[in-house]
Amino acid sequence: MNASRIPTPPDVAWQQKHLLDVDVLSLAEIQLVMRTTDAMKEVLARPISKVPALRGTNVTILFYEASTRTRVSFEVAAKNLSADVVNIAASSSSVTKGESLVDTIRTVEALGADMIVMRHGTSGAPYLAAEVFSGSILNGGDGWHAHPSQALLDLYTMRAHLGDVRGKKVVILGDVLHSRVARSNVWSLTAAGADLWICGPTTILRGFDTWAGRWASGGAPGHVGFTVTSDVGAALRDADVVMALRLQRERMDAGLLPSLREYAARFGLTRERLAVAKPAALVMHPGPMNEGVEIAPDVAVLDRSVITEQVTNGVAVRMALLYLLAGGHPEAVTNA
Amino acid sequence: MDGRQIMTADEIRRAIIRISHELVEKQAGTDGLVLVGIQRRGVPLAHRIAAAVEEHEGVTLPVGALDITFYRDDLSLIAHQPVVKGTQLPVDLNGRTVVLVDDVLYTGRTIRAAMDALVDFGRPRAIRLAVLVDRGHRELPIRADHVGKNVPTSSDEVVEVALVEIDGEDAVRIERVDVPAPTA
Amino acid sequence: MPDLRVGKMVPLLEISRAWLVDPVGEREGPGEVVVRDGILEAVTWLQGAEADGIGPDGVLVLPGFLDIHVHLREPGNEDAETVASGLAAAAHGGFTTVCAMPNTTPAADEPGVFARVAGAAATSGSPVELLLHGAITVGRGGERLAALGELADAGAVGFSDDGSPVKSAIILRNALLYAGMLGLPIVEHAEDVTLTAGAEANEGLVATILGLKGWPAAAEISAVERAIAILDSVRADAPGARLHLTHLSTAGALDAVRRAKAAGLPVTCDVTPHHLGFTDEWVAGARRWAWEALDGAGTARDPWADGALVARPYATACRVNPPLRGAVDAAACLASLIDGTADAVVTDHAPHTAVDKETEFGLAAHGISGVELAFGVLLAAVAAGRLPLARAVAALTVGPAAVLGARPGRRGAARGLVEGEPADLVVVDAGDRWRVTADALASRGKNTPLLGRELPGRVLLTVAQGRLAYRDVAGDASGS
Repeated sequence: MNASRIPTPPDVAWQQKHLLDVDVLSLAEIQLVMRTTDAMKEVLARPISKVPALRGTNVTILFYEASTRTRVSFEVAAKNLSADVVNIAASSSSVTKGESLVDTIRTVEALGADMIVMRHGTSGAPYLAAEVFSGSILNGGDGWHAHPSQALLDLYTMRAHLGDVRGKKVVILGDVLHSRVARSNVWSLTAAGADLWICGPTTILRGFDTWAGRWASGGAPGHVGFTVTSDVGAALRDADVVMALRLQRERMDAGLLPSLREYAARFGLTRERLAVAKPAALVMHPGPMNEGVEIAPDVAVLDRSVITEQVTNGVAVRMALLYLLAGGHPEAVTNA
Repeated sequence: MDGRQIMTADEIRRAIIRISHELVEKQAGTDGLVLVGIQRRGVPLAHRIAAAVEEHEGVTLPVGALDITFYRDDLSLIAHQPVVKGTQLPVDLNGRTVVLVDDVLYTGRTIRAAMDALVDFGRPRAIRLAVLVDRGHRELPIRADHVGKNVPTSSDEVVEVALVEIDGEDAVRIERVDVPAPTA
Repeated sequence: MPDLRVGKMVPLLEISRAWLVDPVGEREGPGEVVVRDGILEAVTWLQGAEADGIGPDGVLVLPGFLDIHVHLREPGNEDAETVASGLAAAAHGGFTTVCAMPNTTPAADEPGVFARVAGAAATSGSPVELLLHGAITVGRGGERLAALGELADAGAVGFSDDGSPVKSAIILRNALLYAGMLGLPIVEHAEDVTLTAGAEANEGLVATILGLKGWPAAAEISAVERAIAILDSVRADAPGARLHLTHLSTAGALDAVRRAKAAGLPVTCDVTPHHLGFTDEWVAGARRWAWEALDGAGTARDPWADGALVARPYATACRVNPPLRGAVDAAACLASLIDGTADAVVTDHAPHTAVDKETEFGLAAHGISGVELAFGVLLAAVAAGRLPLARAVAALTVGPAAVLGARPGRRGAARGLVEGEPADLVVVDAGDRWRVTADALASRGKNTPLLGRELPGRVLLTVAQGRLAYRDVAGDASGS
């Protein structure tokens, strides 16, 4: 096969050097991620679930926030592709110690990083990193802003059970104000044409009502509108997917909510509440869960709960993203 | 593509029949044979060879598909985004004779990647190679066991194989391309 | 005057066939001026055929501008700006008088800091006049009144804790009373900090989508309402009390001022070029003018739906306090200039080092380096038909002078084209455009989202108190 001579096919979809959010992805690119994830799932099912695709590629995992799940998921994904993985747990205190993010990125680059998977507590930080770094930045979560790999694995998991999500009712229930998962899911699910509902108490929905209102008559090109409500019953009625979000204790201290108990009583995902959803409605959670707060323990273990499947799919999606970014950016081809 | 035709549909059909006979002869039968087509055009070729074997031996050989994208050593050089087609292997490869099938043998790098991929699935007794066209210019010490047609080419030519299953017709053509000036 | 250096007396300058604006005489039109030995010797208004072909889209001759709100960073942060670089930047922007805020390190809460700043101004050789605001409280800490009387004796033109509001209502009341006794205004940065803790961007669509903590308009409106109520309560005891609300950014706050003025309260306010020309869309990466971000019905457009996002999001050059608001609030700022609710345009020139800005959005210093770009932004509004040229000029001259209560006889108080006075004027080619680059800015602070973009209106020449303050070496400074 003389592949390098075949002219670029017209259906080439992946144009991204970085993946900072899903907002820049076309539906065709999202579908390419889904197809590539299928191939990665097949790799994961092999006796030796490791391929040499990223051999010699240095993937540096730079996390400014404590995280086990996402960090390990990326690490496993990179190792499955035979990348060399460097882990840096940059506590946010190094910021106050004077080393700026820009300095850190330059240092990581000098140490040989080809790709950086980055988690940061400040919204937008990966955009600054992408301006400085000559390789690819994969956003592993920034502040309240974006968590693109999570949104893509959520979509992948939904599609695995529902097929096309177009027109399917997907409910995101919980603290969307502080949730990067919610924001990225708004972009990916409205691109995929889902009937998206966002539900929670008014104090932690703030801003999303504006967003939904502005998009009511069509939002960004290629995206459908979505619905925001504090009425849990209306949100869950006939839902195909219900995704509960983690509620953090700090929200009480900030005066946003009276108590965890009250939240659980009014907005927690229980069997009784779920009864109005479709009988086979999927239950999802990006983790880590506060069982008994945003999700009842007996709901988390229902047959239709796909929470552990989300974790498995997370590795496959992250393999797909690392792989696409490694081969995908236009600069890489100029020496072909 | 308007290039010079070097194999017609009939010639392709005859080459496949000949390869199917050689395979059986070399193996002294069909025991333990598995055909594995390399995505994309190796896959229909593998199925055609299996059909030809079935016709004259009355035996249905297992046929698999191998996607070697993840095993390429030139990921960053691929001028377009690689599209993963997927791997399906119907049987355990341990102890079997695997016949890799591809459309064109050129530098040998695809076959090297395919062998790397295969051994991740098990330990075949032997790996053989069948190609429709061998165009020369090897960069690795690899040769085909079964060749439909040897075609001398120059490196500024492209061999294009068209198959009904993918392209709507059967033909092999050769075309000269203008190699773009390397970027500074 | 090819050899004339900055700071030197202008021996002879004749500008013919220009468009003159005189906000004191409330007149604009074709004319000519002659400056001889630093004195504005003659102002001639052209009539009839002589005036043919002269319009406000060519060379303008305007009174030198007055900015009553700049940050010069000296003492304490000379990497960001010095008095000398700040005055050079002011001259480049057409300003012949600027008034520095006291939030230096140490804060200007006693006359010693004033002396140091005044010394730096004298050493700079710039003819741009430097006025000073004193701090309201010691160290701008909001607890004890600063040496207001001594600062007044040392020349303070007003008092402000700008950068922060006066949190305590009782301190604000006492400051209004005491400053009123001294005949000086309190310049308040109105912000309810309980609503803005950790806030990053104007509360609304942009902040929501970008995951930035919302900065509500109510934080400014409630602080303005509070300050006005306190002002009303002290008038009986201190007839001289005056409140000036600076860098207002919301329709609600401007409405509150409009009502207070109608009720006869001694309140004034200003708006900035960035709050009337830019919007929160800029944080997301849009760069269209605020008036272009409104649809026909007067509501803000959606830059995601419009494809208006052209720059990378989270540019820290857009981080400013108060934050860039939505297009409706920006339109209210512009409208307030036209109806007179806002008395002045101030730049809130806030230079910062690259180190303080090349960081995560939420951690970056607040402020935009703006003194060199203010008139260009206003000219863009003029060119778009959104602002009469005469209003723009008045808001940079007689408007701020009135806020300070400038008395006749004080240096630069007239802010008009007055024959026989020392020449204080700026010559602008309104028909020319220039590209804003780091090199083109005299300020040490390059922190503006206009970097790399073109602005209308090239300042050709600035003359302050009869002396050369700025001359465009590339352009052709018309005249002899």
